[in-house]
Amino acid sequence: MAANVHRRVGQPVPLADGLEKVTGSAVYTHDFELPDMTHAAVVRSPWPHAEILEVDIAMALEAPGVRAIVSGFHDVERAFLNYGPAFADRYPLARDRVRFVGEEVAAVAADTLAQAKAAAKLIEVRYRPLPAAMTVHDALAKGAPNIHLRENLPPNVAQVSRAEFGDVDAAFESAHLVLDDVFEHGLVAPVCMETNGAVASFNAATNEIDIWAPTQAPFFVRKEIAHILGLERDQVRVRSVVIGGGFGGKSQCPEPIGIAALLSMKAQRPVKLTLSRREEFVSGKTDHGKQMRVRSAFAEDGTVLARHTEFLVDNGAYTHMGPAYISAVRQRTCNLYRVGAAGFDGKLVHTNKVSGGSYRGMGAPQIIWAIESQVEQAARALGKDSLAYRLEIANQPGDETPLGWKIGTCALAECLAEAGRRIGWEPHRRARKPNRGIGFAAMINPSVGVLYPEGNFANVSLQLTAQGRLLLGTQAADAGTGQNTILAQMASEMMGCDEALIDVVHMDTQLAPDDLGSAASRVTFVTGAAAVDAGTRFITELKSRLGERWGVSPDEVALDDGWVHCRGDNARRLSLETVFELEGDLRVIGRHEIDLPRPDPKTGYGHYAATYGFGAQAVEVEVDPSTGHVRVLKVVVVQDIGRVINPLTLEGQMHGGIVQGIGMALNEEVVMDHGQPVNATMVNYRVPRITETPSIQCHFIETDDPTGPLGAKAGGEHSINPTVGAIANAITDATGLYLKSLPMTPQKILTALGEGSPQKLARKPWKRPFNAEIATVRALYPSTVFPLAKKLGAKFSKGRKQVERFDFKVATSVQQALDLLNPDEGRAMVAAGGTDLYVGTRQGIYAPTRVVDINAIDCLQSIDVGPNETRIGAGVTLSRIIEHDALRERHPSLHEGVSLIATTQVRNVATLVGDLCQEKRCWFFRSAFPCYKFGGMTCPCYAVIGDNRHHSIKGARRCAAPCVADAAPILNALDAAVQIEGPAGSRVVPLSAFYTWSGETVVGPGELVSAVTIPRPAAPVTEVFEKYAQWRGDFAEASVAIRLQWRGAEVSEARVAFGGVSPLPERCAQVERALVSGPLSNDAVRHAAEQGVHGALPLRDNENKVALLVNLTERAALRALGLRTT
Amino acid sequence: MLSLSVNGDIKQTDAEPFTPLVDVLRDLGLKGTKIGCASGECGACTVIVDDRAVCACLMPVGRVGARNVETIEGVGTVASPHPLQKALHEHGAFQCGFCTPGVVMSLLALLRAHPSPSDTQVRSALQGNVCRCSGYQKLLAAVAQYSGQSPSKL
Repeated sequence: MAANVHRRVGQPVPLADGLEKVTGSAVYTHDFELPDMTHAAVVRSPWPHAEILEVDIAMALEAPGVRAIVSGFHDVERAFLNYGPAFADRYPLARDRVRFVGEEVAAVAADTLAQAKAAAKLIEVRYRPLPAAMTVHDALAKGAPNIHLRENLPPNVAQVSRAEFGDVDAAFESAHLVLDDVFEHGLVAPVCMETNGAVASFNAATNEIDIWAPTQAPFFVRKEIAHILGLERDQVRVRSVVIGGGFGGKSQCPEPIGIAALLSMKAQRPVKLTLSRREEFVSGKTDHGKQMRVRSAFAEDGTVLARHTEFLVDNGAYTHMGPAYISAVRQRTCNLYRVGAAGFDGKLVHTNKVSGGSYRGMGAPQIIWAIESQVEQAARALGKDSLAYRLEIANQPGDETPLGWKIGTCALAECLAEAGRRIGWEPHRRARKPNRGIGFAAMINPSVGVLYPEGNFANVSLQLTAQGRLLLGTQAADAGTGQNTILAQMASEMMGCDEALIDVVHMDTQLAPDDLGSAASRVTFVTGAAAVDAGTRFITELKSRLGERWGVSPDEVALDDGWVHCRGDNARRLSLETVFELEGDLRVIGRHEIDLPRPDPKTGYGHYAATYGFGAQAVEVEVDPSTGHVRVLKVVVVQDIGRVINPLTLEGQMHGGIVQGIGMALNEEVVMDHGQPVNATMVNYRVPRITETPSIQCHFIETDDPTGPLGAKAGGEHSINPTVGAIANAITDATGLYLKSLPMTPQKILTALGEGSPQKLARKPWKRPFNAEIATVRALYPSTVFPLAKKLGAKFSKGRKQVERFDFKVATSVQQALDLLNPDEGRAMVAAGGTDLYVGTRQGIYAPTRVVDINAIDCLQSIDVGPNETRIGAGVTLSRIIEHDALRERHPSLHEGVSLIATTQVRNVATLVGDLCQEKRCWFFRSAFPCYKFGGMTCPCYAVIGDNRHHSIKGARRCAAPCVADAAPILNALDAAVQIEGPAGSRVVPLSAFYTWSGETVVGPGELVSAVTIPRPAAPVTEVFEKYAQWRGDFAEASVAIRLQWRGAEVSEARVAFGGVSPLPERCAQVERALVSGPLSNDAVRHAAEQGVHGALPLRDNENKVALLVNLTERAALRALGLRTT
Repeated sequence: MLSLSVNGDIKQTDAEPFTPLVDVLRDLGLKGTKIGCASGECGACTVIVDDRAVCACLMPVGRVGARNVETIEGVGTVASPHPLQKALHEHGAFQCGFCTPGVVMSLLALLRAHPSPSDTQVRSALQGNVCRCSGYQKLLAAVAQYSGQSPSKL
C-alpha cells in the first residue's frame, strides 16, 4: 500500500484510555469491587523444597469472617496445563510437596483482608524439609535432589533440545579464529507497577465464573480456569480491566487467578486477591536464568563459518514458559547476522526457584548479548572496525538462515549505519574521550511466529452501537502498550473514519472473539491484521447496506466523522445512530491466521514467521574507574519497523524496552540466597529510575512489509533485545573489559578493573594479627559454625513478631512524649518521619505496642544556626535541611549528604535523627532470616557465607551489617553530638559514642533523641561528603565524610569518617594522620586514602569495596583540599 | 472517628490512627492513589500533604491531623483534565498508567515550588516515582513543554 493512502495510520494518537489513567479514574483489578466481595490471603512455603505432611485448617475455619479455605492438601485435583499434559506439573496450590520459597499452599477468603490475613496465620502446615537444588548445576549434579522426574530424561531435566544445521565440526576445523566463552545471568523480574491479582465471582446458579484480572491472555485464563474448576470453557468469562503493566509477568494464567477462582467457587462469593510487592517478587514469574557456552568460528575475512551454543535454562520449580523459552533462545543463536552452520544443545532444568516466565524479550536480550560480545571480540581480533564489520555480516533480504528463516524485507545494514551516524561513531573513533565508550548491537525477531499448539490466529469484532459509535472487541489485553489505540487506528484506516469514533473493549471473552492474547510482540502484527480485516468487512457491509437503501453503488457511500453519506448528494446523509435505528445489528468479525507450518518441534527448523523485524542500537557510556559505575549517556535505536502505525506509542515501546534493557544490563537480578530472594523490595531490586535514564533517540526505517498489516512489522519486544549487548560493547570500548556475567554491576566492573594497590593492601589481611581471630571463625563458618548456629538458632531463637495494630499517640511536648514512652506494658517507640519505623513494623523488625509521634512538638521543629553551634531538632525533615540556606552555608557537607538520601517523598517526611536511628539494612535481617541480630546469640550471621556484596569490609564481627545512615559519618566528621531526653533528664552524647552497632544506638527504652548539635569550628574548615550508591538516593556502598581544619595553608586537623563499609560510622585515625602530615602531593593524598583500608577484611563478594573506599577517600580528600585553595 | 481534609472536603473515617493514609483514602473510594510497594519505595501512592509530595503508604492517618491532603481526584477529570494531565496524555508520557497518579502529584508539588523547573529538578522530584513502562523520556518532554509554555496554570 502506498504511503500517501494512509490517513490515520502514522499519526501520533494518544492512548484511548489515557485521560482515565492520568486522572486516576481508570479501574485496575486492585480498584475493582463487587457487592459482598471477600478478600483473600495466601499461605506460602517458607522452604525451597519440602514434603507437606499436614495442612491443618481447623483453627482458621473458626476465625472471624472466614468464608472459605482451600489448600492443595485438601481441595485441588488438577494441575495447570500450560504446555499440555506432558508438562502439567503445577497445581494451583501445592498438594504434597513444595518446590520453591513462596509457593502457594493454602488460601483463605474472609470478609476483610485483615481477617483473611489473621486466619491465614492460623493455618498450620507441617513440612519435612528436603535438600534443595538452587542452581542448574546443583540440579544436574550426581545425587541431586529430585525435583521432577520425566520420562526418558535425566532427573530434573524438563526438556532437551539438540540439533545441527550444516557441518559445524568442519567449520570449526577450518576456522581462522574460534571464540569459546561461557556467558551467564540470573533471574530478572518484570516488576509491573501493578502486582498480580484477581477478582473472581462464581455464580452457583448458572455454574459460571466471571474473572477480572490483569492477564495478557484471557484465552489461556479461560482454558486453565475451566480445567482447574472442572467447567466448560464457555462457563468462564474474563472481563475487561485496565492492566498495570505486563512485560510477560502476566502472561498465560497467573496463579492468583486460579486461587481466587477456587476460593470463589468454594465461598460462593466474589473473592479478591492482590499480591503484595514481596509476594510478587517471590511468586511472580521471572525471566529464566541461563548459562550459555557460545562457540563461534570465523574465517580470516570475518565470515561467521559456524556457531554452536550450549545452553542451560533454569526452568524453576515448575514448567510455565520454559519450552517456549527454549525455542526462543535457540532461534536467536544462529539467525542474527549471516552464519554458515549452526548447532545447539539446550537443556531446560528444574531448580527450587520460582518458575520462569516470559519476561520481555524471552531470553533474546541475553543471547544477543553473548553473540554481540563475540562479534565485538572477533572484530578486535581480526583488526576490523566494530561497525564496518557488522555491516559486512548483516543479514540481507533474500537470505536464508541456518534455521530455515527466509528473510524478506530487511534493513539491518541501514539500521546499523544510521545508528553509527547518529551516535557519532566516526568522531568518537577519531578523538576518544577518557572512560567513554560506544557499543553496537543488533536484533532479529520473528514477526510473528506460529507460537502455540492452538495455532496463531486473531479475531477482532467491530460493531455499530445504538449510540452511533463503533465498538471494536479484542481479547488481546492491552497491558499498557497502547495496542487498543493502534487497533482502532488500523480499523479506522480501512473505513476512512477517525479512530475517535471507535471504542475498544479488550479482554472480554463475551464481547470479543477469541484471540491468543498479548505476547511475543504479536498484537500489532496478528491482531492488527484482524483489525484491518474487520475494518474492511465493516465498511464493505455498511456501504452495501446503505447503497441498497439509497439505490446507489456501494462505492458512492462513505463514512466520515460519524456520518454516512452518499458522495455528491447532500440529502443522503445519516448519522451512525440513525443507521443503527434503520439497519439494526451490524457486526463483523475480522480474522487473521498465520498461514505457515509450525517449525519442527524438535529442532525449531522452519520458516515459521511471515517476516522478521530488524534493528540496531548504539549506546554511549561513561565508566567511572573509581567506582565501577556505568552511566549510560545516550542510546540510539534504529528500527526496521515495516510501517509506523503510531509513532507516539511505538517510541514509548522503544524507550520502555531500552530502559528495561539498561536495568537488565547493569543492575537487575533477583539475588537468591539460602533458598529465597533476599532483595525482594524495590530498593534492593534496582529498576532504573528517572535519574539513571539517558537520552534516547529513535529512528524508524519503513520497509513497508508486504506480509504485515498496512506494511507494519512487530515492535514491542524488539527494543530490549539489543540493549544489553550494546551496553556491554560500549563498556568494552571504554575499558577493554570483556564481562561474561550479567548484570554488569559496579562491583564486577571495579573488581575487573583491578585498581592495583588498594586491592593488594587488603589481599592477605588475615596475616596480620588483628584479623586472625575473625578470619579463623570465617574459615570455619561454612563447615562448622554456620550449620551449628543454624541448628541451635532453630531451637532457641526468638521468632519474628509482626504486630498488626498499635496504639498511635501524638505528643505535643517533650514531657508528654516521655510519659507516653513509658507505658505500663509493651514497647513504645518514637516516630518522627516514621519511614523506617512503619515499614520495619510491616517487616516484623519492629513490634511496637505504641508509637509516639513527635511531629507536633514545636521545640523539636527548629533549625538554629547559632554563633557557637548549629542545632537541628528531631522533627526537622531532610527536605527542610536541604532548603535551609544558612545551614547549607555553614555545613555544606551535611547539605550535600542529605540531598543524596532516598527520594523527595521520603525526604519530605524523614528526619535527620531518623536517618541516624534507622535499623540496619542487611538484606538477610530485613528478609526475616533468623539471624544473630534478630534471633539472638544462638543464631548465625547469614552474611558470612551468603551474598554479602553490600556488607561490611571492616570491623565486622558477629554481624556484618554496615552503617548506612549517611548522616552518621558526616556528623561524626563534623564533631556533632546527639541530645537525648529521658525520664532521668537530658544527656548529650558525641556522635562517635552514639552507636553500639549498625542501627543500634545508646538511646534506651523510654528515651528520645531531641536534637543534633554541631559545634562551630574554631578555625576555618573545608568539608565534603562522597558517597557511592547504585542509584542516587540508594543506601551507600561506601561513603566518606571529611572535614579539614586549616591553619593558613596547612591542614591543622582532619576528621575522616566512613559509612557503608563497617558496622560503625567510625573515624579513621590513619587517614587523618596522613592528611595532616605535611605538604600533600597527589601521591600523598592517594597514600593517605590507602590508609583507610588498613585492617580491612572483606567478605567473599565485597572486595571491590576496598578499592571503592580508597578511591572515594582520595576523591573526597582532593576535593576538601581543593576547596581551600580555591 | 477521625476527620480528614481531602481535596478541600472534610471526610470522616473510622480507621484507627495507625492505618496508612493510602488505605484510608482508598476505603473512602479515592482509588486513584495506587499501592505499588507499600514501603515508600515506588511512589505510586504519592499525594500532597501541605504542599509536599509524600508517600501515603508511609503516613499513618493519625499523623495527618488538620493538614490538607490532595489526591489525584482533586486535580482534574476526564472531562476537564488539568493542563499538566493533558500534556502528559498528549505526549504519551505514560503507558500502563499505574504510576501516573503518583507522578502527577509529584510534579504538581514540584511545579508549585518551581514553575519552570530545570531538567535536574524534574528528575530529582520524580526519582521516587518508579515507572516501568515509559523509560521516562516522554515524561521529561511533556514537563518541559508544559512548564515552558504555561507556568501560570498551576
